[in-house]
Amino acid sequence: MKMLPPLVIETQALSKVSGEQRALDKVDLQVCPGAIGLLGPNGAGKSTFMKCLLQLQPISSGSAKLLGREVGTEGREIRKRVGYTPEQDCHIPGMVGCEYVTYCAQLSGLPFQAARQRAHEMLDFVGMGQERYRKIDTYSTGMRQRLKLAQAIVHDPEIVFLDEPTNGLDPKGRTQILELVHSLWRDYGITVVLSSHLLNDVDRICEQIIIIARGRVLVHDRLENLKARKRGSAEVVIADRHRDLQAACARENWPCELLPNGHLKVEHKAESLNPLLRLLHNLKLAPLEIIPSPNALEETFIQALELSHAAA
Amino acid sequence: MPLHDTRYQHWEGDHLGIWNRRLVIASNGIRGCLQTKGVWQMVVMCWVVALAMAGALFIVGQLLVADSVVVQWAGNLNPQLQTIVRMLTTWLGEHPEISVRTTQNLLFHYFCIYLMPVSIFILGVAMPLLITRDLASNAIIVYSSKALNRGDYLAGKFSMAFGLLTLTWLGPVCAAWFTGNLLAPDWRFFWHSRAALGHALIYGVTSMAVLSLLAMGVSATSTKEKSTPAFWFIWWIIGGVIAPIASHTQPWLRHLSFNYNLNQIALAVFKPGQDLKTAQDNIPMLGNMLRNIRPETMTALNTPAIWGALFALVIMGGAAGFIISKRVKPE
Repeated sequence: MKMLPPLVIETQALSKVSGEQRALDKVDLQVCPGAIGLLGPNGAGKSTFMKCLLQLQPISSGSAKLLGREVGTEGREIRKRVGYTPEQDCHIPGMVGCEYVTYCAQLSGLPFQAARQRAHEMLDFVGMGQERYRKIDTYSTGMRQRLKLAQAIVHDPEIVFLDEPTNGLDPKGRTQILELVHSLWRDYGITVVLSSHLLNDVDRICEQIIIIARGRVLVHDRLENLKARKRGSAEVVIADRHRDLQAACARENWPCELLPNGHLKVEHKAESLNPLLRLLHNLKLAPLEIIPSPNALEETFIQALELSHAAA
Repeated sequence: MPLHDTRYQHWEGDHLGIWNRRLVIASNGIRGCLQTKGVWQMVVMCWVVALAMAGALFIVGQLLVADSVVVQWAGNLNPQLQTIVRMLTTWLGEHPEISVRTTQNLLFHYFCIYLMPVSIFILGVAMPLLITRDLASNAIIVYSSKALNRGDYLAGKFSMAFGLLTLTWLGPVCAAWFTGNLLAPDWRFFWHSRAALGHALIYGVTSMAVLSLLAMGVSATSTKEKSTPAFWFIWWIIGGVIAPIASHTQPWLRHLSFNYNLNQIALAVFKPGQDLKTAQDNIPMLGNMLRNIRPETMTALNTPAIWGALFALVIMGGAAGFIISKRVKPE
């Protein structure tokens, strides 16, 4: 019998209410170790979810467990094994980089010598060179993001929460940070929870996806499952003979709809586009473009975006 | 290309306990304060004064011994002075316990009172490093995401303020007492002066705790690094100006000054009025000198407004606690 890995995050009807706003609405999750992407538009509740798990914000109702321990009663013990990079800057002014990371390690309970050694190792790992001896106030956004990552992993946590770690980075910096984050799980077995509003970031490094919108979990599944789940539809762009294609689709029993932009949306019900291509070939129709339907990941993300726009 | 392994390394070791983590916050803050030149100089000054105090205690001790070094020095300076010192020595020698106890109690009272403004000043300078800067830079989130809770953070910051005051206040007082009595002609001085040390400890620890709490409260009022020290110094100075004026008009207004309240506690703990009376009754020469003290001064020394002071400090402490609880949050 295959053993299931222990859950790193477990929540039951987790809710967080701030004033009249319901930031988290009865979130039920059971998350296994891995690289986990927390995806959702701005204001969806991703940061609140992380903060509730870390006890940075009190939970209004429901319960949560992190690394098998009850959040709320064992916060200090939990945070000993957890790393966190907040979205906003949170360094201590006047400190130099390596001093700051050493201090963070000491706050996590490492003795000074070990803390200093670890700080340098982690600054090496995140790719910071001599700039570690400069005051943090003089750092660029990229350096600050690296420093935040270094302070989050300096005490060798079992799970790291990264809140929008690529914010403000150029494409090269973004790739480097994502690669570092990816390696944490892939090479060193540290569970990573990456919160982002960018589908591309999450798609690039995560194996599990949690999509949140308006405080609710819309989907939680493995990335490969979400990508495999397609509705079997496509938008066909043709110059003319729309009626011919509609009639052919009706014969195949495929719902076909003319969209306001002139495209024809065909539900061919197959995993690949081959049956649709065959039909077009038989009709001797040369399409200008065929846009396959979005996979479940994209579709749910779009749904999340629409939900949040509707709320706004 | 780096010459060493830059891959991620796991760490296996024992985590230090919670008190160590709190002390890390305190020591980091104290180290930060001492990097300011002015603070460092103030600390040195306090210890120099402690040395001077030890010297004063040495001289007082020598006065209780016939033909001591002090008597010889006085003779070398002026034969008349030597006669006066010999008389004083004789009188003091008749009541060694009272002399040591009374003299040291009075000296330590004034020593503590003298060191208090220095400590208040240093707290003002350290104000941004207490809580203000952490609020401004969102560093509270970093503390809260580590193996600490809000109580641990506040305990660390409180220890930082208390530690600074120990460097400038309680440390010099204890060092002066120990060194002064070590240089005394008799080991019994340690025993006879125990009350002075006890009073200094009671007053010092109480005042340091109160000042630390108030400083934390003020430090949490703003995120601007110039505002909180300014507020602290203005409160201190205005309170110091109001207290003597209010004595003749609205006495309750005096209690708005934390400095005044702490001075009242000092009077209640050290009881200098009682010491002066003992000196007047038992040491004729000193007594005659002390009889010139104005009656209203003696009344003020004998009847400190202790309940008013305690009440005011409790209110101030409560307000500081309220501000801290409202302002120091990760979110």
